[in-house]
Amino acid sequence: MRLEHAALRALLPHRYPMLLLDRVEDVTPGESLTGVKAVSGCEPCYRGIAEGQPADRYAYPASLLIESFGQGAAVLWLLSRRAGTAGLPMFTAARDVALLRPVHPGDVIRHRVRLEQVVDGAAFASGSSWVGERRVAEFDSMMAVVRAVDAIVEPRDEREEPR
Amino acid sequence: MSERDKHLEQLREIVAEVLEMEPEEVADTADFVEEYEADSLRAIEILARIEKTYKVEIPQAELNEMRSLKAVHEVVARYAGWQD
Repeated sequence: MRLEHAALRALLPHRYPMLLLDRVEDVTPGESLTGVKAVSGCEPCYRGIAEGQPADRYAYPASLLIESFGQGAAVLWLLSRRAGTAGLPMFTAARDVALLRPVHPGDVIRHRVRLEQVVDGAAFASGSSWVGERRVAEFDSMMAVVRAVDAIVEPRDEREEPR
Repeated sequence: MSERDKHLEQLREIVAEVLEMEPEEVADTADFVEEYEADSLRAIEILARIEKTYKVEIPQAELNEMRSLKAVHEVVARYAGWQD
């Protein structure tokens, strides 16, 4: 099963600038998911960097890479639950994460996520992130718990878009 | 090493890993919450690792009981059918 961006927006509460997943290429509920995040030089994380900085100043931040993988795990978990189950996943812990190579603007990250275990409202995922044939990160254990939707999402008034 | 000791040492390692301590720092009867500042998320993580390691299912209601290594051992022994 493939999910385009609109379908991800319907599943995840995240929005700009924290919606860090562009597309899901393949998902097998209860098992695994391949998610895509394209990094561009327009990302807000590159705003305000002084001119003339070296290349490594534009490495994609580890925190955002981990969050992006976590959003893939969240989609996988959401699609793996029984229909009608309430609540949203909230990322709580990452264990044994290895960042192997920096990611730069122009790179397309593929997250390969496996759902390891679901225990009493908590889910555990593992996997790795790739740019082409190169592995850029490994995730031994990512944990999320389910929280009531109204505990996470502020009611939004669509007419008042921030400028 | 008796079966009971073996199980206790395995559980001590699981608990130590989740609480980010050395196994020898985890005392048998110390309260995870009071003495090691564990919270409910750590408790679920311990439970999840135990379920995965021993392929047992432990009801969430038992979480409240599992507050020390000794108590964890007792609960797991009950559900895993250990004769410790």
